[in-house]
Amino acid sequence: MLLFRDEGHARKWREAHRIDQGGTMTLQTGWRLAQLWYTDKREPRWRRRTLDEAEAVFAGLGLVGEFWRLRP
Amino acid sequence: MRAGRDVMKPAVETNEDVDRRVRVGLYDGLIRTGSMSSAAELAAELHADVPVVMESFARLGASRAIVLEPDDPSRVRMANPFSAIPTPFAVTAAGRDWWGNCIWDSLGIAACLGTDATIRCSCGDCDQAMRVDIRDGRVEGSGLIHFGVPARHWWDDIIYT
Repeated sequence: MLLFRDEGHARKWREAHRIDQGGTMTLQTGWRLAQLWYTDKREPRWRRRTLDEAEAVFAGLGLVGEFWRLRP
Repeated sequence: MRAGRDVMKPAVETNEDVDRRVRVGLYDGLIRTGSMSSAAELAAELHADVPVVMESFARLGASRAIVLEPDDPSRVRMANPFSAIPTPFAVTAAGRDWWGNCIWDSLGIAACLGTDATIRCSCGDCDQAMRVDIRDGRVEGSGLIHFGVPARHWWDDIIYT
């Protein structure tokens, strides 16, 4: 997961790496995702999310569609 | 094995108990010292046998709680969001310098530590220097986060991802 100056730079990178599809998000969404994902990572109570739970986190941030699906 | 932070040691430890203690010990050691402990270092810290920690590393790696070095199962490459080795994502937070595995994990270091942070990286395309700050729980900076690998394939090769 990389940071680009804007969509134009991300598109150039995709073209250079022959990647048809990518997932993008704003820094604000990325920060919210990081908070949801990692705030408790070093706590004893932490456990890995189930696929359903992880997809629910994505969906809650508007990250939906084929790219964000966790099942084949 | 010595009990770590907030982890009561039960009379009989299950693998799950051991793994919790090893995982918490790994993160606590990283945050205390700034470097990722090896199995031997963590065993000494936790007063445990090295093979016990190695077996726990293997289970934690298999369950994707951590990522082991591909050619050395006694060392941890990633305890996400932290990287044990330098990456293009330098994070300054809590008075130390850290390495994030990617931009998501770099933001995650601020979330995990619960502190302000400064991330220094560069545009994945043109290499122009970029800076992102976390201040008082808000993100400041510009740029677009891009995922090149679909979510269901992230763990096919997590080091590449």
